[in-house]
Amino acid sequence: MSAPKNGAMNGAMNDPPPIEVRALRKVFRQTTSGRSVVAIAGLDLDIAPREVVAIVGQTGCGKSTFFDLMIGLEQPTGGSIVIGGKTPYGDFDHFRGEIATVFQQDRLLPWRSALDNVRLPLELIRLPEGEQHKRSLHWLERLGLGNFVSAYPHELSGGMRQRVAIARAFAVQPSILLADEAFGHLDEVTAAELRETFLALARECGSTAILITHQLEEAIAVGDRIVVLGKSAKLLADIHVARWSKGDYRILREAIQATLQSNERDARLVG
Amino acid sequence: MHPEGVREAGLEGSFSRQTVLSLVIFAVAWQTLSYLAPTLGIPAFAIPSFARIGQSLLTITPVDVIVTLARVIGALILSFVLGLALATAMYRSASLESYLHPMIRLLMAVPVVSWILFAVLWFRGVEFRIAFVLIAVCGPVFLVDSLDALRGVSRELRGMVRSFRPTTLQYFAKLMLPAILPNLITSWKINLSLAIRVVTIAELVGAVSGIGHQLAVAQELFSVADVFAWTLVLVILLFLLEAVITRVERRLLRWRP
Repeated sequence: MSAPKNGAMNGAMNDPPPIEVRALRKVFRQTTSGRSVVAIAGLDLDIAPREVVAIVGQTGCGKSTFFDLMIGLEQPTGGSIVIGGKTPYGDFDHFRGEIATVFQQDRLLPWRSALDNVRLPLELIRLPEGEQHKRSLHWLERLGLGNFVSAYPHELSGGMRQRVAIARAFAVQPSILLADEAFGHLDEVTAAELRETFLALARECGSTAILITHQLEEAIAVGDRIVVLGKSAKLLADIHVARWSKGDYRILREAIQATLQSNERDARLVG
Repeated sequence: MHPEGVREAGLEGSFSRQTVLSLVIFAVAWQTLSYLAPTLGIPAFAIPSFARIGQSLLTITPVDVIVTLARVIGALILSFVLGLALATAMYRSASLESYLHPMIRLLMAVPVVSWILFAVLWFRGVEFRIAFVLIAVCGPVFLVDSLDALRGVSRELRGMVRSFRPTTLQYFAKLMLPAILPNLITSWKINLSLAIRVVTIAELVGAVSGIGHQLAVAQELFSVADVFAWTLVLVILLFLLEAVITRVERRLLRWRP
């Protein structure tokens, strides 16, 4: 899986591997007080290949910790995340070029032009120079930035920078795409536009996409499935959106809201 | 034009006029003092005229300038490589840092003169002595600046690059080095002026070539004109080297807004 992919520019070539999360647990120890904080207390989740899953939950529910565990930047305290028989933390290098991320902030390297920022992951997977250039250019053009390839990040608007970040994620043709509140900081129009582009590209490429968000509207708009997490990433609901007709989205939103609020109340009572 | 632009241009203009004016005032005062020296009871050699300093400038031996320059650049390159390598190792290993940090602070507190005396007492070769002093003085500056810069690289950018799973070498080459480049250039600027001053003292004490040695000779001959001329060469050398670094900085950091 870690060999450079030289194939077609628009798609992941093979089926992405399934994702199995079993009794996942992450505990942090606070440096100052020495107290243990349970960020994730035993999460079970299965994500099928090519599925688009929105993970929704209130601030501090462990969504971002789950994101870091999925990327392999953090080691689980207990349980496991298994992707096609491998774990993102233990088999870190195995997933080079297979998992790509879009973060809340664009996180572009300020000393690189838009083109060179998109090229970064391609350099890391050691794609031939010519292919790097061709592919970076292709993805910038797909994201509507063909005229800004030489622009530095500070010369671009927030929306344009996030487009570069999306192009950077798609450039490696990843099997799994992860987005952590990737559109939350943008204005509504830009966010909706980018969300749509992201979703269309993810479907076109056949990648599994996991979007982490605290916005219900966003979750309903993009997800095949909505996974609702409560405090300590407790699984509150797992909803297949396709089973709901568009006319019932308001009811769905209200039901999720009520679930989250009730969990918040329970957590406060326990606390 | 933007009002601020006008103000900046005005300030810049008046600054440069002030610089020229202050230099002219200094030159006139020096020349007058030189002319009046004998009547004031000051020996003539103590405040030489510009004509006499000009004569001294004509006797400047380029080989001594080149030798000093080579010593400075060579030692700075070595100090930079050592400082950066150690800083990287300390950045990666907290235990190494806890051992080395107190030692580095100690080294930085040692006066230049003490380093020169240690060098004279410990080593025989002149070049080795000078290199030792320069590295002992400039190396820790590079180290501390590099370490601070490495620590300052944004957590967000580190997370982003790591999420693409670089090798250790790629991580440093693609992220850490470019991220700390502005700090490294500033460090070079600081160390350059430091090295020019330190090399002069080191050459003054123990060398048989270089600008410092020529200053020692001038002192033995009681030639203030020669001291003035060699000092002028040193200052011009420093300005030239700084101009080179500024040019490199403009090129490497052209991405900055």
